[in-house]
Amino acid sequence: MSLSEILWVLIKTVLVVSVFLLHVMYVQYFERKVIGHMQGRMGPMRVGWHGLLQPIADSIKLFFKEDIIPSSADKPIFYIAPIIGVVAGVSTLAVIPLWSGFSIADLNVGILYILALSALASFSVILGGWASNSKYSFLGGLRSSAQVISYEIAMGLSLVGVMMMSGSANLSDIVNAQKGGWFIVPQFIAFVVFMIAVFAETNRVPFDLPEAETELVSGFATEYSGMRWALFFMAEYAGMFVMSGLAVVCFFGGWSGPAFLPGVVWFLLKVYSFIFLFFWVRATLPRYRYDQLMGLGWKLFIPLALANIILTGLIKLL
Amino acid sequence: MEMETTISLLDIRPIIPELTLICVGLILILLDLIVKKKEIVAVVGIAGTLVALFGTYKLYGFYEPQVAFGGMFVLDGYANFFKLIFFLNIILTICISMKYMKIEKASFGEYYSLLMFSTTGMMIMASAADLIVLYLGLELMALSTYILVGLMRKKPRSNEAAIKYFFLGAFSSAFLLYGISLTYGLTGTTSLSGIAESLNALNIIGSPITYLGLIFMIVAFGFKIALVPFHMWAPDVYEGAPTSITAFMSVGPKAAGFAVLGRVLFDAFPAMQGQWASILIPMAVLTMAAGSIIALAQTNIKRMLAYSSIAHAGYMLLGIIAGTHEGLTSMVNYLMIYLFMNIGAFAIVIMLRREGFQGEDLEDYMGLSKSHPLASFLMLIFMFSLAGIPPTAGFIGKFYVFMEVINAGYVYLAIIAVVFSVISAFFYLRIVMYMYMKDPKQEVTLTTSPTMSIALAITAMMILIFGIFPSILLNLVRYSILG
Amino acid sequence: MHVVFVYKTTTMPGTYIPSDYLSVAVIIIFAALIGLGAIAAGLLVRPRRPYARKLMPYESGNPPVGEPRYRFSVKFYIVAMLFVVFDVEAVFLYPWAVAYDKLGIFGFVEMMLFIFILLIGYIYVWKKGAFNWE
Repeated sequence: MSLSEILWVLIKTVLVVSVFLLHVMYVQYFERKVIGHMQGRMGPMRVGWHGLLQPIADSIKLFFKEDIIPSSADKPIFYIAPIIGVVAGVSTLAVIPLWSGFSIADLNVGILYILALSALASFSVILGGWASNSKYSFLGGLRSSAQVISYEIAMGLSLVGVMMMSGSANLSDIVNAQKGGWFIVPQFIAFVVFMIAVFAETNRVPFDLPEAETELVSGFATEYSGMRWALFFMAEYAGMFVMSGLAVVCFFGGWSGPAFLPGVVWFLLKVYSFIFLFFWVRATLPRYRYDQLMGLGWKLFIPLALANIILTGLIKLL
Repeated sequence: MEMETTISLLDIRPIIPELTLICVGLILILLDLIVKKKEIVAVVGIAGTLVALFGTYKLYGFYEPQVAFGGMFVLDGYANFFKLIFFLNIILTICISMKYMKIEKASFGEYYSLLMFSTTGMMIMASAADLIVLYLGLELMALSTYILVGLMRKKPRSNEAAIKYFFLGAFSSAFLLYGISLTYGLTGTTSLSGIAESLNALNIIGSPITYLGLIFMIVAFGFKIALVPFHMWAPDVYEGAPTSITAFMSVGPKAAGFAVLGRVLFDAFPAMQGQWASILIPMAVLTMAAGSIIALAQTNIKRMLAYSSIAHAGYMLLGIIAGTHEGLTSMVNYLMIYLFMNIGAFAIVIMLRREGFQGEDLEDYMGLSKSHPLASFLMLIFMFSLAGIPPTAGFIGKFYVFMEVINAGYVYLAIIAVVFSVISAFFYLRIVMYMYMKDPKQEVTLTTSPTMSIALAITAMMILIFGIFPSILLNLVRYSILG
Repeated sequence: MHVVFVYKTTTMPGTYIPSDYLSVAVIIIFAALIGLGAIAAGLLVRPRRPYARKLMPYESGNPPVGEPRYRFSVKFYIVAMLFVVFDVEAVFLYPWAVAYDKLGIFGFVEMMLFIFILLIGYIYVWKKGAFNWE
C-alpha cells in the first residue's frame, strides 16, 4: 500500500466524519423543527434566522457544562462507555457507499460489519447503565440491551433475503444488483421487518423504552452530563444515519436515480427521507409497552423474517 | 490455490442411526409440548431408539469400514459395537426411569430428548476419525448430561452435582482442546490416521511436545472415564444426580470415553505405545486402588456404586494398556457386561425409592430377602457379577481382561488387579450379607413398574447367559473388532 | 447427487494486507479521537465544583434507597441465551445467502433442514413461555 493510498484514506475519513458531525448537529435541529411544526409549534426560533444557529449554540453550551461523575459510579467503565458508543456509531460509516465507488472501506462483508458494530453499540448502553450505579440507569441499560439483541436477530435475518437476491454482502454490489429494480418490491416483507427492527435497534419512538423519560428519567444516560452525554447522543444519531443508509442501500437502490442529480445527492435525499420518517413516527405514535415490544420481536418478526428467507429461496429456485 | 471437497448423499448413509436419534429427540421435544402423560413420550423414545438400533444393525458387519465426510467419520465394527452399548444403555435407562422420575417430581419430556441427544453425542464420539468430530460428539454428550444431572431442580444436591460436573467437564474440554491444538500444531492435521502418518514422517515420535499433547488428551478422557486422579467429581455427581441418570452416566459417557481413548491411542499414536502405556499404568493402578478401598467406607449405596464404577474403569483400562487389538476386545467385552450389571444394580436402588423414602442407605437393605426375595436375589446376582464371582458375567469380563494383560506381558498388573478385585468383593458382599443375614430395621416396600421388570429381566438374564456361555458375547466382540 | 465446493484463495495468507481493513482501522482510531477529544477539549473551559450531594445518583431528588444493582428478572438472561442461539443462526445464514446461486437445490434443502431444527427449538421455547413478559 503506497503513501498516496494511505493519504487518500485519511482524506476520505476526515471528509466523511466532519460532514457527519455537521449532520449530527443539524439533524437535531431538523428534528426539533419537524416535530415542532407537526405539533403546531415553531421549534427553535431565537438563535439566528429561524433558529439556524441553535445547534452551534447548543454545542458550545455542552462544552461549558460541568462533567458530573457520581461518586458511586464505576469510574473506568463510566468513562469508556460513551466512547465505545461513538466509536461503534461513527465507524459504521466506513462501509456506506455514498456514491458509485465511494466508501471509506469497500468491505466484502459490509452488512456483517455494520451488524457487528451496531451490536457493539449496545455494549456502550449496558456498560453505561451498569457503571452509573443508579436504578434508572441500570434498568435502562438492561432494557436497552435486551431490546437491541432481540431485534438484532430480526434485522439480521431480514437482510439475508437481500443478500440472496444480490449474491453479495458488499454494499456496493448490493446497490449494483438493483439496476433492474429496487429490492423494495421483491423484499417487501424484509423491508417492513428491517425498518421496524431499526426503530427498536436505535431506541427511537415507539420503541424508546430504554430512555423513556416518563418512567426512567433518561434511562441509561441519567447520570451522564455535559460532553459525555453528548457522545451518547451522537452515537444515537450516527446509528440513525447508518441504519437509514443501510435501508437505502439494501432496498432503495442506494445512490442510483435519474441522472440530472449526482449520485450522492440522491443517496442523501433518500437517507433524509428516512430520517424524516423517524421524526414523523416520533411525533405520531405512542410508546409501546415493554412486554408488547419483546413479544412483537420474538413472536412476529423472527418468524416473518424466516418465512421471507424461505420464500425468497423458493422463488429464486423456480 | 483451489481445494475441492465433495460431499455426496451417500455420506449420509453411515450416520443414519445418529440422524434417526436426533430426529427422535426433536420429535420428543415437540411431543412433550402436546402430551400430558410423560409415559407416552418415554414409549415413543424407546420405539425411536429401536428404529435407530435397527439402522445400526443394518449397517453392521461390513468387513470394510465405511468412511464418510472426507474420512472424518468412520463406521467400523468397533464403532458399531459401541453404538450397540449406547443403545442398550439408553433403552434400559428409559425403562428404569419412567416411574422413578415421577416419584422425584422431575418427569419432564426433555429428560428423554436429552437422553437421545447425549446418546447421539456418544455415537459420534465412537465413530470419530477426526479430532474435531470427536470434540463435537464429546460436547454434545457432555452438555446434555450436565442438564440431566441437574434435572431435579428443587434439590440442592442435584444442582450442586450439575454445577460440579459442568465446571470439571468444562476443564476437561479445555484440556482436550489444548491437546488437540498441540497435536494439530505439530502434525498439521486433525485426522487420526493423518496424525499417525505425520508423526512418522516428521520423526517427532516421543518429542516432548507430542508427549504433552498426548498427556492433555489422556487427561481429558480420564475426566470423562473418571480415572484417578481425575475422578473427584464422580462420587458427588453420581450421588446428587437422579439415580436413573447415575446409571446412564456410569455406563454411557464412560463407554464413550473408552471408545475415543482406544480410538485415539490406537489410530493416532500407535507408535507411542510405550509412552502412553507408561502414563496409563500408574493411573490404572491408582484407579483400581482408590475405587476399591474408598468404596469400603461408604454408607450411601449410590456413592458406593460410584466408587465401584471408578474401580471398574481401572480394570477396563488394563485392556487398553495391553496395547493389542485383543486387549481392546477384552475391554469392549467388559464394557458390555458392565452395562448390564451396573444398570441392574441401579435398577434395584431405584426400586427402593418411593414417595418420602430415599432408600439410598446401605442399612435400608437389611433383611430385604425376607420381604422381597426376588429383588434380593437379583441384587445378589448383580453384586456377585460386579465382584467378579463365577458363574456371573462379571467374572468372564475380568478374566478376559486379565488374560490379555498377561499375554501382553504385564503379569504384575494382573496380580494387582486380582488383589483389588478381592478387596472390592468385601463391599459388594456386604450388601448381600445385609440382605440375607440381617434383620429388617424397617418395612421396605418396592416401587415396581412393567418396564422396570423388563429391564431387570434383561439385565439379570444377560449376566447369567454371558456368564455361562461367554463365547456368545466374545465371538460377537471379536467379529466386530478383529474382523 | 454431488455438490462440489470450491474454495478459492486469491493470495497466500500471510503476505496479503487487506487494505480495506486499514481504512476501518483509520476510522475507528479517528472516531475514538473524536470522543476523547470532545471530552478533553471541555476540560479547559468547563467548571468543576463537585460536592457530595451533587455526586449522588439521581433518584427523583430523594436520597437513594437500597442497592441500585438489585437482582433483576431472569427473563433478561433467557433473552440473552436465546439471542446467542438465534444470532448464530443468522450469521450461519449469511455465507449461505451470499453463495445461494451457486449451491442450488442442495443448498436450499440443507438450509431448510437447519432452519427446521431451529424452528423446533423456537416452538419449544415459545410454548414454554420464554417470550412472555408477565
